[in-house]
Amino acid sequence: MLTEDLISRMSHGLAPVRRLPSPTALTLRWLGIAVIVVAGAVALVGLRHDLQARIDAGLDLRQMAAAGLTGVLAALAAFQLSFPDRDPRWALLPLPAFALWLANLGWGCLQDFARLGPEGLHLTTSFPCLAFILGFGLPLSLAMAWLGRHAVLIRPGPVAALGGLAAASITNIGLTLTHHLDAAAMVLAWHGLAIAVTTGAAALLGPRVMRAAEA
Amino acid sequence: MSAFRLQLFSGWAMTAEAVESRSDRDMRWSALMAAAQMGDARAYDRLLRECLPLLRSICRARLRDATETEDAVQDALLTLHRVRATYDPARPFTPWISAIAERRALDRGRARGRRTGREIELDHAGPIIDPSLPPAERGLERAELRAALRDLPPSQAKALQLAKIEELSLAEASARSGLSVGALKVATHRALHTLRKRLGAP
Repeated sequence: MLTEDLISRMSHGLAPVRRLPSPTALTLRWLGIAVIVVAGAVALVGLRHDLQARIDAGLDLRQMAAAGLTGVLAALAAFQLSFPDRDPRWALLPLPAFALWLANLGWGCLQDFARLGPEGLHLTTSFPCLAFILGFGLPLSLAMAWLGRHAVLIRPGPVAALGGLAAASITNIGLTLTHHLDAAAMVLAWHGLAIAVTTGAAALLGPRVMRAAEA
Repeated sequence: MSAFRLQLFSGWAMTAEAVESRSDRDMRWSALMAAAQMGDARAYDRLLRECLPLLRSICRARLRDATETEDAVQDALLTLHRVRATYDPARPFTPWISAIAERRALDRGRARGRRTGREIELDHAGPIIDPSLPPAERGLERAELRAALRDLPPSQAKALQLAKIEELSLAEASARSGLSVGALKVATHRALHTLRKRLGAP
């Protein structure tokens, strides 16, 4: 088909479209969903019993703050990149906060090691933990793919991966609030797994979800 | 000297004018796109026709080949149509449409890279029987080759017969066999590969 004919066909019977909300507005919407998911989980299983003590000790607050910052920035970066004309460097935005968060987890690990010796790094399998990871990660990633579905023809991979990172960060906050894990090594291992699983699954499956939602 | 200065000045003036008219053009395109978002088909038609040279130049810079370029332009138009809700009239239009065209041209370029990586030129395949061998050995090799040819799947044998033995062009071979040019290339390549393995060539 000639390109000029294609244009005639495209403009023939053109339907009006509603302009998309700005990346910031989309980020706020997604954060709203995130708050609902985390609040729902807290309502369902309750806060972990020793949360106050741990926050007083300053253990989890720093980590949650770093995770929260990563989540907000990663979500904003994902939505920025879902528009064609935005600078690809938006992808770098959440990285400093992400590094801070990982450093915090690693530092906790070292502290446990200093306090408890090799015992502090002992790992056990915690399957409920995996259920929590999926329970938080899945709805958050799906919500991200849905809100950013217009990105499927633009930058599906980076948008899905950043969306996964945002979902993983909020998952981390949810885990810290509700799920009992003591040793930092366990936290690092399971939360690290949560980040890897959520980000990886989102990067792999996100574009497909977007395609399905777009069609 | 003064002529040079004049040239320099007119060059500067032209650049300034170009920048000015570009921003005018962008304002007009932006307004047309805003109208198109509200369903104004004529504005949309006019906008896309005006943008065609820009789309073509972006795609041509990445692809060079004329057919590929036009395909990428059409891809870009279809993408633009599906994501037209992502344009914000408060922002310039040219970067938006350029980013879409760049993306589709890049995709086309990558797809072409993958295709050429899979195909080999038949002319580079070389003779199967070494012509420098003494006649008796050549005869032996020929018998061996005939046996190997008999064992090939019919489509591969046919492709090899037409393309390498009768030395038809791909188009002629395609017309004779009813296979597409792509299928012929693949079948010939596979046949050569099978023979090479069977006859113990590296």
